[in-house]
Amino acid sequence: MFRFVLRHFNLYVLTLLVLCIFSFWLAYLFPGDPLVNLTGLTLNDPADYQAMAQKYHMDSGILVQFWHYLVLLWDGDWGFSFSSGLPLYQEIFDSLPATVELSTYALLLSLLIGIPLGFLAGLRHHRTTDNALLAASVVGYSTPVFWLALLMILLFSLQLGWFPLSGRISLLFDVPHDTGFILVDIWLSDMPNKGAAMINAVQHMVMPVLSITIVTTAIVLRLTRRAVVEVMPKEYVQAAYARGLSKHQVILRHVVRNAMLPILPLLAMQSTILLTNAMIVEVIYSWPGIGNWLIQAIYQRDYPAIRAGMLAVSTLVVSLTIFIDLLARIIDPTRERGARAKI
Amino acid sequence: MPLLDIKNLTLEIESTQGWIKALDKVSLQLEGGEVRALVGESGSGKSLIVKSIVGAIPEHWRITADRMSWKGQDLISMSSDARRRIMREDIAVIFQNPVNSLDPSASLGEQLMESIPDHLLDKGWFWQRAAQRKQIAVKLLHKVGIKEHSKYLQAYPSALPDDICQKFMIASALAASPKLLIADDPTRGMEVTTKVQILKLLTRLNKIRGLSILFVSHDLLAISNMANTMTVLYCGQTVESGKMHQLRRRPLHPYTHALMESAPSFRKDLPPKSPLATLDGTIPTLQHLPIGCRLGPRCPRAQRECVKVPEERRIHNHFYSCHFPLHRSLK
Ligand SMILES: Nc1ncnc2c1ncn2[C@@H]1O[C@H](COP(=O)(O)OP(=O)(O)OP(=O)(O)O)[C@@H](O)[C@H]1O
Ligand code: SF4
Ligand SMILES: [Mg+2]
Repeated sequence: MFRFVLRHFNLYVLTLLVLCIFSFWLAYLFPGDPLVNLTGLTLNDPADYQAMAQKYHMDSGILVQFWHYLVLLWDGDWGFSFSSGLPLYQEIFDSLPATVELSTYALLLSLLIGIPLGFLAGLRHHRTTDNALLAASVVGYSTPVFWLALLMILLFSLQLGWFPLSGRISLLFDVPHDTGFILVDIWLSDMPNKGAAMINAVQHMVMPVLSITIVTTAIVLRLTRRAVVEVMPKEYVQAAYARGLSKHQVILRHVVRNAMLPILPLLAMQSTILLTNAMIVEVIYSWPGIGNWLIQAIYQRDYPAIRAGMLAVSTLVVSLTIFIDLLARIIDPTRERGARAKI
Repeated sequence: MPLLDIKNLTLEIESTQGWIKALDKVSLQLEGGEVRALVGESGSGKSLIVKSIVGAIPEHWRITADRMSWKGQDLISMSSDARRRIMREDIAVIFQNPVNSLDPSASLGEQLMESIPDHLLDKGWFWQRAAQRKQIAVKLLHKVGIKEHSKYLQAYPSALPDDICQKFMIASALAASPKLLIADDPTRGMEVTTKVQILKLLTRLNKIRGLSILFVSHDLLAISNMANTMTVLYCGQTVESGKMHQLRRRPLHPYTHALMESAPSFRKDLPPKSPLATLDGTIPTLQHLPIGCRLGPRCPRAQRECVKVPEERRIHNHFYSCHFPLHRSLK
């Protein structure tokens, strides 16, 4: 057990190190002075330049530079944005929660819809229900997210006018920035018209969340269905029937757990796709998340922002993936100790 | 009325070459209190018979029978609820591969307690019932020779050796005090002392409680001590069945004869270092079944008539399916 947590931890640290190396290297790869790319400051005054060069140890070897880069990263000193001139650390941690919020709701919704439907399809393998669900999931899976998002805007915002076109909440409301999760922030705040703000925020959220949910649901459905189809003919399921248990009892006691255990790590892997889709959707709905922020940075050739943004997003994805995988393996009693440690 | 009565059970399974009769007109009867041995080479379809009886075969396989009944009630046409009740209360089964028949994600205790039917519990409140369930489970474990029950009740199947899992399977089969126990190779891979212990337990249950047993095994010696009657299977066909001592003393079917000859411990008059009598060749695979009598290509007594499937014939309670049985001399 300990060894295998250690292995996950090693993998995590190494991956993060590689990501840091890459982001550091980016400062050299981007056009312009590496020091400017690292700090994000236009250093016209030679004295300032000297001070910064000193801080980043630019005259020492590359390894020393990298080490000090790591230390600064750790301290939260990520440099400044070219375009806004604000500290990147703060900018990123202002916009990241919005993305996480979007993805979380989408993920929860798609698990809520996808898993039961997957079970339904798997239990009716090769029958009409199964085929219909499978066909629907193929459609959902292969629809490009940006196209779906545009289509939804066209239909629900412009034609029917049910939902607002873009943004996170109407400008009428002034929500304090606390956790970064807008629903939570509204809940915690002592605004005068909390209820109205809540409804407004949810209305803004419906379309972006749904656009991501559809694709993710399709994936979850297919994974669940596959797992159920694989578990159903297993000998222990047949043996449970032979013990005189009813279909319900067999499914609840023996099928659900065995089907879900192997797909938990697979679901973790989907967080990459989920975040990517969330970032695309953000751009279309002008959702103030990290995806939107990064795209803006790329448009404006804001090199320090690109560097730090990439690092933040990839760290988030790697942390999620490894953590959920670890968790899934820890709670899974079906694997041998040795087999469980494999990644 | 026999407890279990199977007449001409045919099971067709789908393969790449179309439908194959994996079981072909198998007949099997079991009276109350009887121990019947079911023997045959590996791949002869013993486990398929077991699975057909308990209904653990894939839905799309075709199963037909002239008769397949439990105490006169037809198992094939009965509702799944009624069949489940019979499986819950009257018939228990130990599948061949204990590790595969245990849910890897549930603890052994959980699975054992699940096999204890509600009607065995007499306490009122649910926590009392849970405690009683546990008590019964522990008692069952002691019965099959597991002493350190607390160590194993919490454990998951993957963490335990095969023979413990096997004993758990036996314990959970006995949990409902069934009338019929179907045991598919229950002692395989066990060491001798445990094997003797299990066989003794089964014999005792048969003697004291009148438990009927359908005992599938390769171990002819164990079977001959335990079983009253025997059914011999070859390639999915029942070739001979009858009283144990009859089949031992005077087998009528060439296959049974060969089977008995091949077990050294069965022949008291075997001179030392004499070669074992065996049939030529090996059991054909399901994809290459010969027509007619399936033993044909390997049978020393085969004649032209053998391309037709032999009818089942009987002498009193002794059934055999052969055109040229041993008691009739060849022309
Ligand atoms: N699920 C399956 N799909 C296809 N063929 C099968 C399946 N299960 C069994 N068979 C085939 O049916 C035949 C009989 O198998 P079965 O397991 O009943 O043999 P057995 O007599 O129990 O052998 P053993 O003594 O080794 O347990 C074998 O040829 C096997 O290949
Ligand atoms: S029917 Fe023919 S082939 Fe079959 S066992 Fe009898 S003699 Fe042999
Ligand atoms: Mg078998």
